[in-house]
Amino acid sequence: MLNYKSSINETKKYSEINMSEFEPVVKINLRGKKRDFITKIGKSLSIIIPTEPNTSSSNENLNILWLSPDEWMLYTNEKVHKLENNYNLEEKLFSEISKVNLGSVTNVSDHWSIINIRGKNTYELLSSGCPFNFNKFKNTKGAVTQTILNHVDVIIHNKDINEINLFVRRSFSKHLWSWMNDSARFL
Amino acid sequence: MFLINCPYCGERDQSEFSAGGEAHIVRPKQPTELSDDQWAEFLFMRKNIKGIQFERWNHAHGCRKWFNIVRDTRNDKIHAVYKMGEKPPIK
Repeated sequence: MLNYKSSINETKKYSEINMSEFEPVVKINLRGKKRDFITKIGKSLSIIIPTEPNTSSSNENLNILWLSPDEWMLYTNEKVHKLENNYNLEEKLFSEISKVNLGSVTNVSDHWSIINIRGKNTYELLSSGCPFNFNKFKNTKGAVTQTILNHVDVIIHNKDINEINLFVRRSFSKHLWSWMNDSARFL
Repeated sequence: MFLINCPYCGERDQSEFSAGGEAHIVRPKQPTELSDDQWAEFLFMRKNIKGIQFERWNHAHGCRKWFNIVRDTRNDKIHAVYKMGEKPPIK
């Protein structure tokens, strides 16, 4: 993990909404088209790769999000030590997938920040700057969408009822965080 | 503003997409044998009709996949959406 100063270092509370950074976790981008790729990942991580659009699957330690027909995002629930640079998960996947040309494995841990938002007003906040229709998404646990929030590209993962993990590129996180705080004041 | 039914992700707002111009333009097989005029015709000349048009679009802020749509430029009504490499469902 890069040793950087996160712009998000406190939990913010507004009416019916809590926002905080979901501390550094390992995020890995997976791309592949072959059927072997899907079965191989399923076997080695004991998780089923979602092939349905806008869905995800999870087990105790891992979440895997559908991004596109040949692209997935894998992220852990366990936090990594900030100053550590060892990614066992990446090494394991890299030797099993990339080295045998099944697909590609890219470590994007430092590329994305995750903001955890929970509370009844979660979707009110998102809807104030997002063109996506959340009506169905709200009630589907594990739903995933890539969309734009206040002109910034985000990935939204529905963790639980009224709890989401919002992925935003790290360079945009400060901007989006201040916009979210500003917007949440008026809910 | 209008909604586009992405063949991979489902219905999304137009602001998530970017337009990629006219679809089904075939690249000449032997570009070196063409005259400058013919080459310019292929590179630059695009239809801009009032009516039903075949277009390429990219879901830039979503799945980042390219696909084709058949759109009526008069009222932005989308008649068909189909994946790259597929034949247009209507003529």
